[in-house]
Amino acid sequence: MDKQSFAYTVIFTAVVTFAFVLLLAMANELTIEQIEFNQEVRLQRSVLQAMGVEFQDDEQAAELFERVEQIEVNGLGLYSYERDGEQLYAKEYAGSGVWGTIRGHLGITPDGTRTLGLTVLEHEETPGLGGRIDEGWFQEQFRNKRLVDGRLEMTSRDGTGDFDEDSGEIDGITGATGTSDAMARIINDHLQQLTQALGGAA
Amino acid sequence: MSSAAAPGPILRENLWTNNPIFMQVLGICSALAVTNLLVNTVIMTIAVVAVMGMTNLTVAIMKSLIPRKVRMMVQTLIIASYVIVVDIILRAYVPDISRELGPYVGLIITNCIIMGRAEAFAQSNRPLISMWDGMTSGMGYMGVLLSIALIRELLGFGSLFGYQVMPAAFEPWIIMVMPPSAFFVLGIIIWIGKAIMEREGAPA
Amino acid sequence: MNPPDITLVPLLFASIFTSNILLANFLGMCSFISISKDMQSSNGLGMAVTLVLFLTSGLNWIVYHMVLVPLGLVYLRYIIFIIVIASMVQITEMVIDRVSPKLYITLGIFLPLITVNCAILGVSLFMEIREYSFTQSLVYGLGSGLGWWLAIMLLSAIRKKVEKGPVPAALKGPGITVITIGFMAMAFIGFGGMLPVQ
Repeated sequence: MDKQSFAYTVIFTAVVTFAFVLLLAMANELTIEQIEFNQEVRLQRSVLQAMGVEFQDDEQAAELFERVEQIEVNGLGLYSYERDGEQLYAKEYAGSGVWGTIRGHLGITPDGTRTLGLTVLEHEETPGLGGRIDEGWFQEQFRNKRLVDGRLEMTSRDGTGDFDEDSGEIDGITGATGTSDAMARIINDHLQQLTQALGGAA
Repeated sequence: MSSAAAPGPILRENLWTNNPIFMQVLGICSALAVTNLLVNTVIMTIAVVAVMGMTNLTVAIMKSLIPRKVRMMVQTLIIASYVIVVDIILRAYVPDISRELGPYVGLIITNCIIMGRAEAFAQSNRPLISMWDGMTSGMGYMGVLLSIALIRELLGFGSLFGYQVMPAAFEPWIIMVMPPSAFFVLGIIIWIGKAIMEREGAPA
Repeated sequence: MNPPDITLVPLLFASIFTSNILLANFLGMCSFISISKDMQSSNGLGMAVTLVLFLTSGLNWIVYHMVLVPLGLVYLRYIIFIIVIASMVQITEMVIDRVSPKLYITLGIFLPLITVNCAILGVSLFMEIREYSFTQSLVYGLGSGLGWWLAIMLLSAIRKKVEKGPVPAALKGPGITVITIGFMAMAFIGFGGMLPVQ
């Protein structure tokens, strides 16, 4: 058969395309469970981290997560966990950053006076600038932070973090005002929802 | 380009004298962005080596069957398929790194080096030697990017592969984390590389 | 999923200046370095990239949300995106040839180069990952194209001067060009202070 003929070209292209798509469909099918499992593990770790619950590895996280309950407080969906007789809450948050949606979990005490912690699951901020919200030092600032008037203030000092638990302030990211402002807006929106719901419950 | 089709000369040529980055600054788009951390760079460049090797192997096996008119399209299809396989594997087994690499894994498809080698070498050579050519070209690329990442992570974060190596008093250079530094470091590496080559007397 | 609530004007300016697709995301480097030797070609290529980026970001959005997501074929997106881009380039080439043979002479030779320009695929992938709406994708595509065009014009102008300067032999050509791009990238980050983003 003439390799430059139209019929050969069409048949060849169709066969090659089919073969490769088949290969990809197989690869996708084989890994789909693993990918779903990974996402599940990530969610579990994030919820526990936001509540300040410590764990060693994924296995222990999964074990601890079995004790996490999904509850509703005044119409607001929350994760709840009991540690040594003390209740811990966490809520999923999402909002627009500079480039895309920022998503993660925010932990809070049941009386709504302190945040327990913060995680960032997804973001599209610029790497090295706004993207630094996924670094440890930024998130660690939210550990046991006391709210002032139900809010946290985003400051722009030296960008090294504010670890004073009673300051009510979070040090924003140097050179990333947009992301810092967006983060402040998202967190305070969700804190307002949380304090309203929890305040109503108390 | 010399067409020495023996494994030894090919290795030397692809890693050094005809290194795609030194000579033409080709194919850096997909990978410069991830060079601020060594771990990401390692994974990314291993992906490139694998895709290049497999693409060259496949093209060399199929070369007599491919009609001329659709050659580019078939090559793109082959490259894209291997990139998707790599992407799926990364997602399943190293999800954290896959997330950080984001769209850059997909962008390996448009890495000009891959199609360049498929055209220049795999089209006219036997399968195994083509695969070797693809992998060594990938390694030449890997070498340059790893050097960039080494410098950027060391100065930008004070760490290597995530382990703190600089003393605590070291003030990280923020610029090294940001995009412009990738260009500076690459420019300096090309400078050093070419200067050494010229001293060796190789045609630059 | 809801698209992020990002207003269009800042998005346009951010994609042209502060987060220039080339200087901040390193996309579209190959043709950028080789073509920027010549100013006229740079202009032609920049125009072609802007046009194709604008068209493909919209088209890929439609294909992704109307075809791939409903059919559960999201994992094939890289192949589909590149096919859409290649066909779009072909169609653009034919249309320009018919409508304006004069423009075709300027742009024609650059169009095939565009298929393998990473910036085009990159914009489509970014718009998918960031969950942009249709209009946001169009604006982002347009902004990225204009940003690329601006960057290549500036670089080719700078290169004209640099080539006459006393550059060390080993740094000539790609070396000094890459370092020049580094300085441009730094200057563009400076735009950050002007815009209420980032």
